[in-house]
Amino acid sequence: MNRLLLLILLFMASRTAAQQVQLEISHAVAGQPMQLQTASYTNAAGDTFNITLFKYYLSNFSLIAADGRKITLDPAYFLVSEDNPASKKILLLQCPKGEYTQLSFMIGVDSVLNFSGPQDGALDPLHGMFWTWNSGYIMAKLEGTSPSSRLPNHMLQFHIGGYRAPHVTQRMVTLPLPSPLRTGPQYRPQVLLQADAMTWFNGANQISFRQMAGFMTPGTPADRIADNYQHMFSVKKIVNQ
Amino acid sequence: MFRKSAYILIAFCLWLWIAGRDRHALTAHSPAVEYYQLKLPDSLPPPVYDFKNNPLTKEGIALGRHLFYDPKLSIDSSISCGFCHQQFAAFGHFDHAISHGVLGRTGNRSVPALFNLIWQKDFMWDGGVNHLDIQPLTPITDENEMGMDLGVLVKRLQGNKTYRKLFKAAYGTEEVTSQRLFKALSQFIVTMISFESKYDSVMRREPGVTFTAEEQGGYRTFTQKCASCHKPPFFTDYTIRNNGLPYLPSMNDVGRMRITNNTADYLKFKVPSLRNVLVSAPYMHDGRFFDIFQVFAMYDHGQQKGNTIDPLVKNGIPLTEKEQRQLYMFLNTLTDKKFLTNKDLSEVLITD
Repeated sequence: MNRLLLLILLFMASRTAAQQVQLEISHAVAGQPMQLQTASYTNAAGDTFNITLFKYYLSNFSLIAADGRKITLDPAYFLVSEDNPASKKILLLQCPKGEYTQLSFMIGVDSVLNFSGPQDGALDPLHGMFWTWNSGYIMAKLEGTSPSSRLPNHMLQFHIGGYRAPHVTQRMVTLPLPSPLRTGPQYRPQVLLQADAMTWFNGANQISFRQMAGFMTPGTPADRIADNYQHMFSVKKIVNQ
Repeated sequence: MFRKSAYILIAFCLWLWIAGRDRHALTAHSPAVEYYQLKLPDSLPPPVYDFKNNPLTKEGIALGRHLFYDPKLSIDSSISCGFCHQQFAAFGHFDHAISHGVLGRTGNRSVPALFNLIWQKDFMWDGGVNHLDIQPLTPITDENEMGMDLGVLVKRLQGNKTYRKLFKAAYGTEEVTSQRLFKALSQFIVTMISFESKYDSVMRREPGVTFTAEEQGGYRTFTQKCASCHKPPFFTDYTIRNNGLPYLPSMNDVGRMRITNNTADYLKFKVPSLRNVLVSAPYMHDGRFFDIFQVFAMYDHGQQKGNTIDPLVKNGIPLTEKEQRQLYMFLNTLTDKKFLTNKDLSEVLITD
């Protein structure tokens, strides 16, 4: 009888505990933990602002070994949102056993899924991340207010998207890991990632809210902000358990 | 010990069954569905629409038809898709220049007629929508049209007994998702096929059907002066062009440029089909012409020749009075009465 139990347990283990990696994402603004609504921030252009909404898509994950071998994981799409704690924990499944030194992923949704009709799950248009008048995903969204904004109610509205050349906003991110990430049946590794929203405005293309407090179509400003936020991620820690 | 392990075994089997069932429900149709084959004339090019991703079933089409005619798809349950897309007007909006919406609001463009959409690869007057299945998202959520939040709509339909039954029949489970909703709407909309006009009978050399002398004259004029853009058999080449229609400052509609941010696309709009044209007035993206003779007059002498005007019409299309009369007679042969009265497409009354 014990043997039967053991068999069942083994079977369950092999089904559910396939090699996986847990990503834990925290959001920051200029190094400080992000606080929606209440906290006030100042960008490099000198505009004070707050953030009311911050969300974006992540997809196309891959793991890179020390010898440069790249393991592309099964397609999966995640909508990460500051106001949804569960969305900030991402489970990468079917990670082959190994030791990896870099993590790579896309901010955004593959071009083909932008013109393949309605999707479900994280890509369901009911999440408000799909443009209705000009089909395509909003890859990343940041909203808030700033006294510098000349929009109604001093709002900030950055909806960054566009999948057709020349205005393509998907960005690949490759992050070196501070210590090797080990995957295998005996490990439950975690990667602690941080995304800093200040990079949207303080990167290579500095944004002043006096000049631009929002952008909500595909176009050059969207491309520039995507160039900025391509650098918003950093790896804080690897926990090999 | 034995009993304990038996319990565990039973629980485990149950878990396997539930896990397996969920996956099955998401991917497979219920075994009861009846597949449906669209009847299309042989001579047509293959459709752009990929039926592999949305195989037609009688149950799916029935659900789509119910959705199409259901005012519950709008925020105050006042406006259905069929409210603006009327069958007798080839699913355009009879006598309305621009679209109407909830709470007495109006949009800023004319309601396009709906038929033969499986050959069309982008939608709306500016081609901004890139897939037939995602097209209904725009009118459903636009605050000037149906004004509905998609998440609220999914919950509303899930709470309705009739829809739970219809979704189960079409998809095997009662679950309402936006993807299922959109695909079902497409199932119905793709059955709007119009190739049964007098013109089609003449082209197919059906016995006893011929053009009158006036229609024949109009066909000649059409072939010489209109057919490069309004290309048979669809009577559109599905491109986006500036036909020289004067810009109206009060509407400030820049056309395709809104989508591409490219000044070369200023004032470009989709070439509409001329099938059923005489029953789907008014004309142009803003419905400014209520009479087809106003359209003829625009091409003859009323264009505004900006720098994005299409080369094919930049010198205008001179049309004598006789040519205009004959053209009208020819366009009349493009009206497909069988389509306009097809009972499978007609409105269903929804009371719950």
